[in-house]
Amino acid sequence: MNTKELAEKIVTKGLKSGADEAEVYLESGREFELSVRNGDVETVKQASPKGLGLRIFKDKKLGFTYTSDFSDQALEEFIKKTIQLAQVADPKPWNGLADLENGEAKDLELFDPSIAEIPNEKKIEIARETERIALSSDKRITKTEGGFFGDSETEVVIVNSKGLSLSNKSTGISFGVYVIAGEGDDMQGGGWSSSKRYAKDLDAVENVAKIAAERAVRMLGARPVETQKAPVVFDRYAAGAFWYGILFAIDGDSVYKKTTFLTDYLDKPIASELVTLVDDPTIPRHVSSQPFDGEGTLTRKNVLIDKGVLKVFLYDSLTARKAGVKVNTIARRYGYKSAPSAGFLNIIVQNGDADRQKLISGIKNGFYITGLRGIGTDTPTGTYSCGASGFWIKDGEIAFPVDGVTLGGNALDLLKNIEAAANDLDLRGMLSTPSFKISEMTIGGKR
Amino acid sequence: MKSIFKPISRRNFLKAGLKGGAIAATLPVWRLFSFAEPPADFYVNPAVNLSRETLEMLLKAALGHGGEFAEVYVEYTVTNRISLEEDKIYGAGRGVDMGVGIRVLHGEKTGYAYSDDFSLDKLKQTADVAGLIAAAKDIRQPVGLKPSSIPSYYMVKVSPDTIIPEDKAKLLWKANSVGRAYDKRINQVNVGFVDINKKITIANSEGIWAEDFQTITRLAVSIDAIEGEKRSSGYYYKDGTLGYEHYDPKLAEELAREAGRMAIAMLPAEDAPAGEYPIVMAKGHCGTFFHEAIGHSLESDGIRKKTSCFWDKKGEMIASEITSLADDGTVKGARGSVNVDDEGTPGQNTILIENGKCVNFLYDRLNAKLMKANLTGNGRRQSYQHYPIPRMTNTYLLAGKDDPEEILKSVKKGMYIARIGGGNVSWVTGRFVFDVSEGYMIENGKITKPLKGIQLMGSGPEVLKNIVMVGPDLEIKGGGTCGKDGQAKPVSDGNPTLKVSKITIGGARV
Repeated sequence: MNTKELAEKIVTKGLKSGADEAEVYLESGREFELSVRNGDVETVKQASPKGLGLRIFKDKKLGFTYTSDFSDQALEEFIKKTIQLAQVADPKPWNGLADLENGEAKDLELFDPSIAEIPNEKKIEIARETERIALSSDKRITKTEGGFFGDSETEVVIVNSKGLSLSNKSTGISFGVYVIAGEGDDMQGGGWSSSKRYAKDLDAVENVAKIAAERAVRMLGARPVETQKAPVVFDRYAAGAFWYGILFAIDGDSVYKKTTFLTDYLDKPIASELVTLVDDPTIPRHVSSQPFDGEGTLTRKNVLIDKGVLKVFLYDSLTARKAGVKVNTIARRYGYKSAPSAGFLNIIVQNGDADRQKLISGIKNGFYITGLRGIGTDTPTGTYSCGASGFWIKDGEIAFPVDGVTLGGNALDLLKNIEAAANDLDLRGMLSTPSFKISEMTIGGKR
Repeated sequence: MKSIFKPISRRNFLKAGLKGGAIAATLPVWRLFSFAEPPADFYVNPAVNLSRETLEMLLKAALGHGGEFAEVYVEYTVTNRISLEEDKIYGAGRGVDMGVGIRVLHGEKTGYAYSDDFSLDKLKQTADVAGLIAAAKDIRQPVGLKPSSIPSYYMVKVSPDTIIPEDKAKLLWKANSVGRAYDKRINQVNVGFVDINKKITIANSEGIWAEDFQTITRLAVSIDAIEGEKRSSGYYYKDGTLGYEHYDPKLAEELAREAGRMAIAMLPAEDAPAGEYPIVMAKGHCGTFFHEAIGHSLESDGIRKKTSCFWDKKGEMIASEITSLADDGTVKGARGSVNVDDEGTPGQNTILIENGKCVNFLYDRLNAKLMKANLTGNGRRQSYQHYPIPRMTNTYLLAGKDDPEEILKSVKKGMYIARIGGGNVSWVTGRFVFDVSEGYMIENGKITKPLKGIQLMGSGPEVLKNIVMVGPDLEIKGGGTCGKDGQAKPVSDGNPTLKVSKITIGGARV
């Protein structure tokens, strides 16, 4: 199947059937995943899925449909139905496709042809070995949820009636393990993984296994502390959720509707000067890089918070036109089943210059947070509240593991109270941050 | 991590609930030897109607490498959505998912492959790939397929897929106008109607052949209020395995009023204090707590792998004597109800905790077989792209005997949890966290000021022992979409008024 030709055909047919504008977003590819447990293969799953989403604008009204049924008759019906659905909506002057831009999509080195050549035996071996090392690396590791391996190949095609026609092929490969330490009433789980675009960029099996085991073992005996106010250090691998809460609150359309606590903060300081936060989906070979976004707009690096000052709200082309702002739009798609919406693609909080160990050793009585439960920030009010685990710091030393406590505060106060950022940034996933210290937070626990 | 999805800007839309909720006390009416049929005018691509011969051929091909058990799952799903925001119909959408998933079991091993291409060659190849998990010399033959009898727990007379979007829009407009008129501090009203229409066929090598047609509908209203610097939100919804006849403008009006009431009530909310407090949970709106804090740890996969905190607790007292918990896939019209689960097992009512004692777990076919336990109808999957795993359906705390007024009066200083929002749990430690979307202070037995930013934190095993009072007023209202191992699945839950003697509250002040 030539996916681009199919997408072009649907767009042409859409216009012929009465649409003013049409856009097809088509995904196809293959996926493979396997898991092992106690050395035996437990699951193997493979498939070659496909699907497409169709956006139609008719008289400034929007219709959106998706299907995994590509038969001729079904597609014919599908196009008609989408146009009918558009008629139901109310017209909005800002409805329409993104403007067509000049320039070409960059090759971000997102496709590794060698992944398709990896034999299944090798994949099983990686998962098995990761689990074996994790299980044997510490006596206190007692059980396993298993080792896993997965790889995928995806082609994204986006074609629209303004003449846009883009495609991108990418690969993904990952493996990891989740093990359990302890027995009886004191069990703790810990997992780790490595996820890359290129097979040869994967972390060493041994490192991934040992980190997973360490993450389980170190939490044995975790207990709550008493309710108090204390300084905290957010670990780089735990702080992602904290930033998500802030990012959701700078959605441009929520600002337009005045439903976020950051509505009035454009070009104003919202955080300590140590905070610079960018969206950069253009880093070669990175798992969260992509050459164009969900509307087919070429991606670029955008600074969202600069030395504590909020520089932009997040818009896609529709919400930007609605708000009457000229900004670099960032439209995200969660697969072909969703229409594009304003968002972010690859968030990086810039490194500070402090040593993480020194952040900890400078605290007399405080909390080193290595796990968060929940997003934390309530968008309308900015109230921050979530569950946390980690380690209690006493006289600059890690004293004992902590679990079953909550963190509370006001998101703006917390951002402003970031008094040090570490230099330990590690680019992983779609949000990377260094560890950082907040001068004081409410910790809810016993009494 | 397993979690009830906490959608971000559209949080209130994904949380869905069921109003009313009397539990079906009578036995279901069994429609012997008939499939649950889609409505006559529901278009199904004829390609998905695989013949008995094709299904049997695929099962045979899947067992071709020596597998012990094979299963074919065929799905055709149509999802319709329409939403209103900012006084405008935002848009209407429709989606079609169709595909075949083939699973082969061999000992503890699962081979799974799926295809959205229905050509015979492609399906055969999919069966073969799934079968590769086994490498045994002894080739089994599938048992001839026999159509299964299907019970009926859905309440569907009028298929929502047959209703034109213009009609659904009338519900949205009604909720919008009522919501906006509720109070002048109301700033935004969002309304959405979604219906999922799913035809599934399950055929397995033990001769099970079941078809089901599932309809899930939801009307949800979310309202934002603003007054000076203060902001708040409220929401309400009706949903379930319900036909369109359950929705009318009067209902839309009720939902909008309740969402408006909550938004306005929470507008003056103050920061919650952190620390340990007793809590009272309102009937019907806090069942998610039991789904999350306890239910997940009673799913058989974690029990078999000994990774759940309850893995060795069967027959033991794990809760106070007044605590009984059920997972019931047979609640008439509830969001999590199933005529058959996604492995063809009829929905069941399973008591998990009886007067404090752990008496059962939730099983899918694989874990039931390996653990030599009876099936409970909890083998569920998100779609043909996923293999089934043990999942909850409608989970609720059973009614007790304490007077709801006395329950409230018994608390000197604590919190009243009127509505629970999203939450998540680690099934290993049983530790959970929930946010509370509507909560109040209790002072001297009376509900006083509204509080914002309340988090409930604790561990399942601990909290079960601290359930000290349970009212007789069970309601199954709350429901939503539960996520586990990357699979989203509709569920609902319920609870009577109850008191937990001590729980950690997260808040912004000490």
